[in-house]
Amino acid sequence: MSKKAQRRLIVATVVLVAVFAVAMVYVVASRGAYYRQVSALSAADDGRDVTVGGAVVHGTIVRDAAGVRFTMEDLTGLPTTVRVTYGGQMPATFAAGVQVVVTGRFASGGDQITAAQLETKCPSKYAGKASPLPQTGLGQ
Amino acid sequence: MIVIGRFALLCCLVFSLGAVLLLGLGVRRRREELMRWGYLAVYGLFFSAVVAAAVLLEAFLARDFSFAYVAQNSDASLSPFYRIAGFWAGQQGSFLLWTTLLAIVAVAMAMRNVERIDRLTATTVAVVAAVAAVFTLLMVADRASDPFVAAAPATAGAGLNPLLLHPAMVLHPPALFAAYAALTVPFAYAIAALVLGDTGGVWLPGAQRWAVAGWLFLSLGIGLGAWWAYVVLSWGGYWGWDPVENTSLVPWLTATALLHAMIVYRRRGLLSRWTLALACATFWCTIVATWTTRTGLVSSVHAFQRNQTLVVILSSLLIVVAVVSVALLAVRWRRFGAAAGAAPVRAGDAAHIALDAALGALAAALLAATVVAPLAAGRTVGPQTYDLVARPVGVAVVLGLALCALLVPARRDGTGPWRALRWPLLVAAAALPVLLLTGDWRERPFGLVALEICCFAAAAVVVAVAASARRAAGERGPLAGLGRALVASRTRSAAWLAHLGVIVVVAGLIGSNVYAIHSSAYLAARTGASARAAGYTLRFTGFSQDTGPQDSQRTFAHFVVSRGGRVVGRIAPHTDVYAVDGAALRAVILGSLPRDLFVVVQDPFDATSAHLRLQVDVFPLVRLVWAGAALLVVAGGVALWPRRRRVAVAALEPGQETGLGRDEAREGAR
Repeated sequence: MSKKAQRRLIVATVVLVAVFAVAMVYVVASRGAYYRQVSALSAADDGRDVTVGGAVVHGTIVRDAAGVRFTMEDLTGLPTTVRVTYGGQMPATFAAGVQVVVTGRFASGGDQITAAQLETKCPSKYAGKASPLPQTGLGQ
Repeated sequence: MIVIGRFALLCCLVFSLGAVLLLGLGVRRRREELMRWGYLAVYGLFFSAVVAAAVLLEAFLARDFSFAYVAQNSDASLSPFYRIAGFWAGQQGSFLLWTTLLAIVAVAMAMRNVERIDRLTATTVAVVAAVAAVFTLLMVADRASDPFVAAAPATAGAGLNPLLLHPAMVLHPPALFAAYAALTVPFAYAIAALVLGDTGGVWLPGAQRWAVAGWLFLSLGIGLGAWWAYVVLSWGGYWGWDPVENTSLVPWLTATALLHAMIVYRRRGLLSRWTLALACATFWCTIVATWTTRTGLVSSVHAFQRNQTLVVILSSLLIVVAVVSVALLAVRWRRFGAAAGAAPVRAGDAAHIALDAALGALAAALLAATVVAPLAAGRTVGPQTYDLVARPVGVAVVLGLALCALLVPARRDGTGPWRALRWPLLVAAAALPVLLLTGDWRERPFGLVALEICCFAAAAVVVAVAASARRAAGERGPLAGLGRALVASRTRSAAWLAHLGVIVVVAGLIGSNVYAIHSSAYLAARTGASARAAGYTLRFTGFSQDTGPQDSQRTFAHFVVSRGGRVVGRIAPHTDVYAVDGAALRAVILGSLPRDLFVVVQDPFDATSAHLRLQVDVFPLVRLVWAGAALLVVAGGVALWPRRRRVAVAALEPGQETGLGRDEAREGAR
């Protein structure tokens, strides 16, 4: 390979890689949901799409025809909570005490997230031992 | 026993640091006896790592809950199979497993280099030992990463999370760690070659085998993880574009690029610096994956808790690896460039170069979206956005692969492009009416085009195999020719299998993603009650109960499933209630090649429940994903299979030893 061709090749590759990477950062930074801890949600996030991680508070899960409502508490130990409503597919591991990541529109007035997406934490490390059964209204 | 474990861990640290020091000095001063002492330290590292791992394993097998880690990750009722899995169910054991694998890799390399110690191997082993030292340091310095912490007296086992009770979960973590350990070697070789300024490419054959092994285990690990998520977690799929999943895909992309660059470097003497850079980048990406998982700085469904010591050590490792790699590449840039020679770039090389550039760009983009954007801008994108980008990219990769497989030989042989393209085009044309008339494929134009391209590409691979068979056949029959063609070059056969595997995986991804149906049903738990969802009718026939593994109380909800008035099977999703760990909902899959029916009850239930809320998903062609992943693993195995002696001798002929392959030697002779 000639020196000139080599240099052209390297420049072309670097440009390609850089353009892809920068484009992705741009797309995510302009379209993405804001990542927040529960305690970091503020009035500034009103009406924004947010991605929030938290733990489902015991005794707050309500299921009805519209889906599920529950309260989520901060993971960093602060006593902040936010309410979540979700009407989509439920992961099988969803239960009280479980850590979840929700993505959706935040309304600071009602301190509430209308989630479009809900994921439960991967159980790589198992922390809580509370049975989810009492939360579910069995036998009703 | 805890004391022995801790002591073994400290020995690991001392021996690994000693090995780095002795080997480094020995290489620098060109003194063989120092390097020999360094290798002895590597043996010491190996033995102490094995002792530490054996102590922990024995604790799991003997249900010794005086180990806090054992108590956290197992209980008395677990079967030995899952007690062994407890070893890597948490962070502490994962690091120990990784360190042990690194020690095995280091000792394997040292043992093959005892007759006449060369500086290249010694430097490589030193780099591997240095990486092992960092992970040992993590376990020693960070209490949350230390597997040998005593538990409070009279602790009973907390039990393994019921969701981890699955064969895939027993194999998935070790496969990933084996991959990460193996991918350390090409990096170590690259650093050694750069440090010593060894431009001859002597490092290539050794590095190539480990790179293939790493790629194989990475494919296996990612595949098993996806399968487990699909079968057990019922996240409604096998891939969620989560940061941890993405960061395990990034090294797979760079490792794939590395394997292709290595082929070009070895055969043609081109791309030496790309190969070095890719080897470093791949290792760096494996550390990024660990960093993402363990530090939890990027929000992830899989991430472990945040931890300060861990963040400092892993971040330092990331920075050091990046700075050292870039600095060494910069210093040696001209030297390796000058040695590269001026072989003309042929069509085949151009195809490899284009693929490498594309894979590099994809890896950078994925890393940027997953890690850089959340950290820099505090924002993330969801699976829909990733899907939107990934679909056309995946199809483009398959199309590019097929065109290269067809047009490169056509150009070399001087036959026209149409001649090369006609059979695959015919196959694609023949597949069109089948796709239009069966199933619902015509409903999504993108999916239809994508599946057509997959048919075309699969035919292209078959055409390439057939062409080689025809050339190899000579006087003999076509079957003998096929046999000879497959045996003649293991790398080529592995490439065919791997390419076919990628095509099959992409076809499966298109089917199960683009054509997936997600729906739900709500029905009274009364015998005879039925619900319709996703084109299926589910008729409830009653509950049943039994005792499952780990003394779990299982309640099954039985359904008869029919489609178009015809009974296609019976399913029984169940709730498992565990004595210590609460309940788990178990999905059932009624599978066939065209489509999987995936059913899970959404709320825990028992035999007195009055209603059932069902999640009913249909994943067409999802079995192709598993089949294709299996093909990738087989391809890796074929490439790694030990060569026969005859071939081994041939490989040592002059011209081969330099690492520059036959083509170069032949060109030199002209």
